[in-house]
Amino acid sequence: MQSKFSNSAARITRLGRRGCDLMEALGRAGVFLFQSAVGVPSREGWRLWLHQMHFVGVLSLAIVLVSGLFIGMVLALQGYTILVDFGAEQALGQMVALSLLRELAPVVAALLFAGRAGSALTAEIGLMKATEQLTSMEMIGVDPLRRVVAPRLWAGFVSLPILTVGFSVVGIWGGYLVGVEWLGVFEGSYWSNMQASVAFVDDIGNGMIKSAVFALVVTWIAVFQGYDLVPTSEGISRATTRTVVYSSLAVLGLDFVLTAIMFGGL
Amino acid sequence: MTDAPFIEIEELYFSRGDHEIFRGVNMTIPRGKVTAIMGPSGTGKTTLLKLIGGQLTPESGRILIDGQDVHKLSRKALFTLRKRMGMLFQSGALFSDLDVFENVAFPLRVHTDLPNTMVRDLVLLKLQSVGLRGARHLTPAELSGGMARRVALARAVALDPELILYDEPFVGQDPISMGVLVQLIKRLNQALQLTSVVVSHDIKETLSIADYLYLIADGQVVAHGTPQTLDTNEDPRVSQFIHGEPDGPVPFHYPAEAFYRDILGDAPMIQIG
Repeated sequence: MQSKFSNSAARITRLGRRGCDLMEALGRAGVFLFQSAVGVPSREGWRLWLHQMHFVGVLSLAIVLVSGLFIGMVLALQGYTILVDFGAEQALGQMVALSLLRELAPVVAALLFAGRAGSALTAEIGLMKATEQLTSMEMIGVDPLRRVVAPRLWAGFVSLPILTVGFSVVGIWGGYLVGVEWLGVFEGSYWSNMQASVAFVDDIGNGMIKSAVFALVVTWIAVFQGYDLVPTSEGISRATTRTVVYSSLAVLGLDFVLTAIMFGGL
Repeated sequence: MTDAPFIEIEELYFSRGDHEIFRGVNMTIPRGKVTAIMGPSGTGKTTLLKLIGGQLTPESGRILIDGQDVHKLSRKALFTLRKRMGMLFQSGALFSDLDVFENVAFPLRVHTDLPNTMVRDLVLLKLQSVGLRGARHLTPAELSGGMARRVALARAVALDPELILYDEPFVGQDPISMGVLVQLIKRLNQALQLTSVVVSHDIKETLSIADYLYLIADGQVVAHGTPQTLDTNEDPRVSQFIHGEPDGPVPFHYPAEAFYRDILGDAPMIQIG
């Protein structure tokens, strides 16, 4: 009886401690975000940001565009086989465009971005921490949050929405290749149905808002995990994994919440 | 130059988790001299440097650098104070995405508006003083451990700081690089009138350059004085460290339960013979 009681007490204590740890980590991450993101960038800051735009954005372009192409092609193929049963294959353009703009482009681009750029950011910042580069920067009188973290954070925040636009454009073109060129859907109805049904604010605008939210969350998780890790090889490996796992879960969870608000009438 | 001490550490307490690292440390580091802080591994020498640099915050007590309480400064003021300090890290901690030249130029580029030609001249002067002017185009990955530390030293003095903190500068160096570093630290201190704090457990080298020594063990200062006074100190803790005796007040064995119990468990002891 005594041991049963002490077991549950220990479990509750553990749960409480985990809760406190989680709150503390969230608080640290919040302060971290504020200290890194708020402030006027210097001329050197702009140069570092541009450099990171290349590293984070341009180098993610290939994987995002190729994935967009395949996803657009698969969407058209799957959509066609269903729509043709109802004689509605002329609505293929509308289906491909809405699926991509509202859901697939922001979500899949964010997941790919977390895997390609997010993990790289965590590993890079983590290795800089493990080799005392961040500490030495502090001792030189340069704030690593401004010098190392801020350009990466802003580069991620700006580049993911642009990548998402690229993903949608290439995906729609992939849908066109399969639907129109291969399966013989009438080209005029592919484009005109799309134009008639896609609303700029509701569909494109909401997709971009989703993408901006995912960009902030994924990049925030990536740079924070890198900055906050235990500076050992095991610590870097764990943090890199955490970046991909947390980012993916956050993107999928937030996607549901945002979709419910934007399209679910909440 | 005033005679007031450059760093004053008063009643410093610091722990990591349940492990007490400092229990009331007091130190005075004179201006323009080389002060060595020595002690066995694990006594928190590097932690002390991080406390001086404001990277860690003590539980109680205070550290004054040139009259300013390091841990009461705002983040901005702390970074301003750090411009007056240089620190040489054990690993060198060079920026891996910059070459040797840019590593040394880094503090000049971020803290001054000097034209490129002047930055170039200053960097070459600093690299010349550590003997690595010819290595300016190498990347940190191409340097040996000793060279990396010399480049880091050139970077640490790039802004002509008033204080320089050396974290175990002699660890893992071959005798030649060791000799070079000893000479460099001595020469830099004399030429630039720096205040230097050397944290080390390499007795011979440290005694040869230090003007004043602090020995820390068990979270406290156990002795301090000039190299000559410490050499003749009869405190067993001081003498064990200075003369490198393997066993003494600092035990050879890490605390553990009785050896026979660890090996044999609870089996009764058997008398033989």
